[in-house]
Amino acid sequence: MTKYLLIARSNLRKTKGQTASMIVLILLAAFMLNLWLMLSMDYKANFDRYHTALNAEDVTLSVNADAPGLHDLLRQTLEADDRVAQYCLDPCMHMSGNLPYNGGTMTCWFVFLEKQAALTRSIGRIEIIEDSAYTSGVYLPLIYKTDDIAVGNPIEITIGNHRMTYTVCGFFNSIMMGSNNCTLTEMVFTQDQYAVLAQGGYAPEALLCSVRLKDRTENLSYEAALKNTVSGQYPNIIMMSNCYDNVTQARYISQMICSGIMSAMAFFVLLIALVMLVSNIVNYIQVNMKNLGVLKAAGYTSGQLILTLLLQFSCLTFGAAIAGAGASYSLFPAVNTMMTAQTGIPYAIRFLPLPLLLTLGILSGTVALAVWLAARRIRKIEPICALRSGIRTHNFRRNPIPLADTGLPLNPALALKTTLSGIRNNVTICITMLVLSLVVVFSGLMTENVIADMTPFLNLIGGEIADSCISVRREAEEDFLEEMLADERVEKVYLYTTLSVAHVDGAQLMATMCDDFSASNNPNSVFQGRFPRYDNEIAIAAKYAGEKDLRIGDEIEITANGVQEAYLICGFTQVSNNLGKDCLLTRTGYERLGTLTDTSYYLNLAPECDIDTFNREVNGKFAQNINTTINIRTTVESAAGIYVSLMTIIVIAVLVLSAIIIAFVLYLLVRTMLNNKYRDYGIMKALGFTTRQLIVQTALSFMPTAVLSTIIGLILCSLIINPLTALFLNGIGIVKCTFIVPAGFIAAAGCGLVLFAFAMACLLSLKIRKITPKALLTGE
Amino acid sequence: MKEILLKTENLSKSFSNGGAMQHVLKNINLQLYKGDFTVIMGASGAGKSTLLYALSGMDTPTLGSITFGDQVISGLSPDALAVFRRNHCGFVFQQIYLIDGMSVMDNVLSAGLLVNKGKKALASRAAELFAAVGLSEETQRKFPAQLSGGEAQRAGIVRALINSPEILFADEPTGALNSKTGLDVLNTLTAFHEQGQSVVMVTHDMRSARRGNRILYLKDGDILGECSLGSYVSGDSARHEKLSAFLREMGW
Repeated sequence: MTKYLLIARSNLRKTKGQTASMIVLILLAAFMLNLWLMLSMDYKANFDRYHTALNAEDVTLSVNADAPGLHDLLRQTLEADDRVAQYCLDPCMHMSGNLPYNGGTMTCWFVFLEKQAALTRSIGRIEIIEDSAYTSGVYLPLIYKTDDIAVGNPIEITIGNHRMTYTVCGFFNSIMMGSNNCTLTEMVFTQDQYAVLAQGGYAPEALLCSVRLKDRTENLSYEAALKNTVSGQYPNIIMMSNCYDNVTQARYISQMICSGIMSAMAFFVLLIALVMLVSNIVNYIQVNMKNLGVLKAAGYTSGQLILTLLLQFSCLTFGAAIAGAGASYSLFPAVNTMMTAQTGIPYAIRFLPLPLLLTLGILSGTVALAVWLAARRIRKIEPICALRSGIRTHNFRRNPIPLADTGLPLNPALALKTTLSGIRNNVTICITMLVLSLVVVFSGLMTENVIADMTPFLNLIGGEIADSCISVRREAEEDFLEEMLADERVEKVYLYTTLSVAHVDGAQLMATMCDDFSASNNPNSVFQGRFPRYDNEIAIAAKYAGEKDLRIGDEIEITANGVQEAYLICGFTQVSNNLGKDCLLTRTGYERLGTLTDTSYYLNLAPECDIDTFNREVNGKFAQNINTTINIRTTVESAAGIYVSLMTIIVIAVLVLSAIIIAFVLYLLVRTMLNNKYRDYGIMKALGFTTRQLIVQTALSFMPTAVLSTIIGLILCSLIINPLTALFLNGIGIVKCTFIVPAGFIAAAGCGLVLFAFAMACLLSLKIRKITPKALLTGE
Repeated sequence: MKEILLKTENLSKSFSNGGAMQHVLKNINLQLYKGDFTVIMGASGAGKSTLLYALSGMDTPTLGSITFGDQVISGLSPDALAVFRRNHCGFVFQQIYLIDGMSVMDNVLSAGLLVNKGKKALASRAAELFAAVGLSEETQRKFPAQLSGGEAQRAGIVRALINSPEILFADEPTGALNSKTGLDVLNTLTAFHEQGQSVVMVTHDMRSARRGNRILYLKDGDILGECSLGSYVSGDSARHEKLSAFLREMGW
């Protein structure tokens, strides 16, 4: 063992700089790998831990309690079903409403519970995360905790058409109703405020039905079946529901996107580290040919020499991976804060051995494989040949860019010669720049479509965007329409209402109805086929269609209100509101299943018209006939604001990371090149080349490959970025991405990337200053 | 009266050797003349190569000055010295030092193009020099590793002369060659000298030294003596005797 250590120590002494850079790259890869594994392996598990701890439901149904016999129907249905393991039926109130959040307004379907009842429910109880001495007010889901919404602060909550002001008493964790994207959002009041709400009649009384299933995998179909049973008996009843699969997906979208990007970056860094490692080993063999010859002549076998390199790099990797994984724990609290703000579920940081073991395993395994593949050529070295200065690797048959024939000036010509004779360097730079091109294109895409102007992002995930949404009672619909059409502030008004239907033998689908989809604002929500025009047509979510192997032209059975009808699939839609479980029907199409009780209208208002003022006026005019008014702009901006801040952080992080990667890769390449060309640079300095010329020449030698691979990378990535993003967002129902690819931004960022690489290469080549012709002549 | 090409005043060079100062050159006052073939001789460690590096601007003196024509070069920055070398000097090294990754022609042109002459003029100068040293076009396309020692050194001479330097510095140019190829190289240098090229050569080989018309003998960092031999004539025994006597006198 001592002999291996002696050789390894000698190797490390000679390549201190390169070894240090290698360690940093491995450390960076370990850092991101461990963080990704912790996020992806334990965050969802954390959801399940809380789900078990709070005995949370698999299916939740909130239904108006005013229907006679509903309680009995639910009880009988639940008890007769052998899929049900446990259930509870608790009184509550429910109503749509909104609250200020993240600079906008968050509109949700609220389920109101009294504090003590919420804490003591047999299924789906809440856990108070932050409490206070305030005895009158509201407790909110943890996800709403922001700088503005804090304990003791007043908060204005609109319930139906009534604006109420409460004191925030604390925050709680509710597994199935603790987020704005779970369909149902729980809101817990102190006893007195709950009584005020009940007495005021601001929200109808409801039954909160929480069901735990024997087999949780049946949650989707059970939710559909339960709703169908209720709507079959009570066709016009108001009810909202959610289920385990939808809630887990909805609450972990951010974590999924974040960990997806992190895993991609981790593997990119690892790939670059491995390419650099292979390049370094091949270079080591070349530079140390004589030494290897001496060792072989002294009796070392090829296997022993390869083993030395394996030991050397495995030990370094192991150490760097441990350090990187350790370092990931220092960033974990910040990532956790960000993630908790997105999921709304508290997460206690703890040591996770499995991600660490996997990180160590992946890094050690890949590094060992790369070392072995690169070091195998040691077997081909004959001692005699090696002692005679080694195997010549230069290709003498070809002289790239003969100076006599080239039209290039001297320094670029010499730089190009270096470029064309360094295949390994070119491969490394090519891979690095391709990876970084993807980062640039991704950053450009996110900046253009999310950070700078979120309209394309909203069009993609939000489906239909207008200025105002007004829900009108059916009996006032005609008067309302007449009034709106006469109002000159209203540019467009059209039916756009969403109700729940079920695919027979399938899942619950959110069905959006419109009189004429061609009049809607977002013509892209159906990306394949067309919008439904006739009452027997349906457009369904592409993700759901993929899961059920449904195609355009297929006929499916849809049920609601106890009625079942067949519809022809005419198009595929992608709306992320219900995580890919959506469909579009014409109004007449839906009315084959039952009548619309409430109708929501979308309105485009004149640019100078204040949406909130307009909504207040309409509320005042139609009073009880208006269920709710929503300022869609502020609502979607508020919801999308979460993604904007997340994307901003991710874009900044990946750009900083790219700068670090490029700096380290170039450091390794420049150091290796200077070691290899030390003699040549000495000769050139003796002949009269200045330090500046040699620095520029060195930096320029990296540029042809860098520029070419960046151009190819940017073009290629611009072409694939939308399908790639769709792949990332598939979890929320996006199948086809139509983000604008900002050519100008990408071109500018690509130029910046290349210029940064050039500047870094120049900076790293400053070591050439220390090469003197005299050192060459005196053999220093 | 000969034109002074390069002169030194109180040229000294010292190195720190484990804390103690080692004085390699001591107050050397020297004038090199245009058209001379100056040979610097001396025992190993006398400071011959150090003097050559200082004179050629490869190294800077510790004290004293070096003046080339009207220009004091001893205080120049490393980059200014590089420009000086490319414009005024040519170098022939004992280890030849052709750049491995370049063909012979590229080695020559990489030095030639530095001075920004027209490419046509440069190609014609290169062709002239290659013809003079006897390297064929095929050899010009070869890489250094494919050349014999003599061919490589002759290519080195072409590279050194491509910019028509005012002074050619040669450091033991035959040191790494066998006697026949060494003789070829000396003949080449002599031929260029005869065409008016100023040469300064360091050697410890008497056969090489005979080619010079002026011999300087260095001992312990100082010029111990100087001998003028006149123009080189092959087989001139009187000239050989004079050199031998001078060297004996110097303690060679």
